[in-house]
Amino acid sequence: MSTNTKDMGRREGAFEREPARRVFAAELRECRYQFKDGEDEKSPTFVLLPSGERSNRIFLVGTLTEKTRQGEQNIFYRGRVVDPTGTFFIMAGSYQPEAMQQLAKIETPAFVAVIGKPNLYQKPDGSYLASVRVESITVVDKDTRDLWVLDAAKHTMDRVDAYTKEPTPDILKAKEQYPTIDPSLFRKIAYDALAQIKI
Amino acid sequence: MDFSEAANRISRKFAKGGQTPDVKKIEGKLRRLVDEFGVQPSEAERSVTNELAKEFNLPAPGSGGSAGGGGKGGGTEEKKIADGVPGEWVTIEGKIVALSNPPSPSIAQSGVIADDSGAMRFVVWAKSNAPAMAEGSWYRIESAVVDEFKGVANLKIHSGTTIKEISEDRSLIPSPVPIKDLHPGIDSVRAKFIQEWDASHERMLQSGLLGDETGTIKFVIWKEPGKEKLVPGAVYNLFYAQVDEFNGRLSLNLNTATILQEEGEIEVSGGEVAVTGAIVHIAPGSGIIKCCPVEGCNRALSRQNYCPVHEIQPKFIYDLRIKGWLDDGEKTHNILIQRDVVESLTGISLAQAQEIAENNPLGMDEVFLQMRDTVLGRYITCHGREIDNRLLVNKCDKVVFNSGDHTALLNRAGGAPS
Repeated sequence: MSTNTKDMGRREGAFEREPARRVFAAELRECRYQFKDGEDEKSPTFVLLPSGERSNRIFLVGTLTEKTRQGEQNIFYRGRVVDPTGTFFIMAGSYQPEAMQQLAKIETPAFVAVIGKPNLYQKPDGSYLASVRVESITVVDKDTRDLWVLDAAKHTMDRVDAYTKEPTPDILKAKEQYPTIDPSLFRKIAYDALAQIKI
Repeated sequence: MDFSEAANRISRKFAKGGQTPDVKKIEGKLRRLVDEFGVQPSEAERSVTNELAKEFNLPAPGSGGSAGGGGKGGGTEEKKIADGVPGEWVTIEGKIVALSNPPSPSIAQSGVIADDSGAMRFVVWAKSNAPAMAEGSWYRIESAVVDEFKGVANLKIHSGTTIKEISEDRSLIPSPVPIKDLHPGIDSVRAKFIQEWDASHERMLQSGLLGDETGTIKFVIWKEPGKEKLVPGAVYNLFYAQVDEFNGRLSLNLNTATILQEEGEIEVSGGEVAVTGAIVHIAPGSGIIKCCPVEGCNRALSRQNYCPVHEIQPKFIYDLRIKGWLDDGEKTHNILIQRDVVESLTGISLAQAQEIAENNPLGMDEVFLQMRDTVLGRYITCHGREIDNRLLVNKCDKVVFNSGDHTALLNRAGGAPS
């Protein structure tokens, strides 16, 4: 009978939270392109990963090595979280009060799990900086860090494998935006990250 | 073309509704269309029927633009029920498998009609003066209109429809549809009654969850004379149940269904799933909560001990739960973790949580914070049942580092040419 109307109906109304992508610092650092999905003011913003996937949210686990409090009127915290491949720059301001309080309490160094939204900034010299606006940050143990490295390596390789196969619109966009980046580089990075885990 | 025969056929259709179209005039119109304008005879018959329908203020046939028309009898085509498409005039033969109480005085009869291809809801308008049909009998229904009501095909019997009882005595055995493949309309399922819910409305006789090997679905039976409750745990064949859709979710209305209990057993998959990922958010309302003590209510109370139904409840009961999001990197799952699983996951028992809630200056918030700090950002595997896009977790394991996985990933990363 009227099959088409119902299949659509099942999709509608169900809110889908944006998944948190697993990405190594070395890949996030290469991002140059972000875009909005839709015209609306509230449409989500995505950072396009060079391996061809959009990310509105990321999940990372690493070592918080440094944090600084900045600002007089509007206090905000900046921090550096290190993974086996590089450094994530994180920040939490007064629009993320819960995250800011969590970050304020953590003593460096510590293993931390961070859920946040990636953003790109262009520095005065024209180069780009990817930073993560923290939604939530908690202290975790080394096991969780190691699990994350496996998880991030797996997802990175999944993306690299998909890149060479059937191109999705996001993969095509990545090829256009990052013409000089060969994603097989990220497989090498994943290997190096995995190799750093001592058993 | 035999014009007088076609003209008679058309006029009979309208005579049923108490109209007396001029047969000679119809014949003249047909002749003119065919002879003068070279119109296909079937198309001519259709257009004259349409014109008359408009004149007598009957539902416009073929508004959906059925191209078929068909060479043989008149503007309607004999169809199987499953082939009825909204907007078409049809002639069908089927068995009345259910009659339900007409929801409005302008409706004389409503129910479900079936043939071996499928089933459809039907409505007989009071104005149509159609003869009453009996449940269990077979009828030939000519020139009815398939319409769409709430997104579901529906057979409308109006004053231009001819109903004839026919002597068929086949028993129809509808084939059950797997729950995951159900669509709005009329379908049959074979399912097990796995969970009984409290009736949320006084007109509701029973509601709960049915499951088969492919999934689960909510069902409801409304109070009506002769309706009986299902027995929890039993397996049923439910013929001609109405599949409704609300907010993108399906549910079964069993009032139209023929319900047969059987001896068999069904291994309910129940959407039992396991998801591994990281907990990326703990929602407010997690931790220790106060619940309404009224029998069968158990709703969470506000900070002021206020139940949305039973108002202020000073003698609340404490409970533990975690609401949040579990993320595997591709999809985020809404999870709800029950008390015993919360206890084993966080290492905080209900008694300890209560002690914290009553003695710590932050009260219940302190429990939330402690639980958040032990759970957030951790990798866990949640087992449970997914209902309405929420995973109800009945078992949960922390993921431990597996050196086998590590080696496999190293091989995968190193094995490819770089």
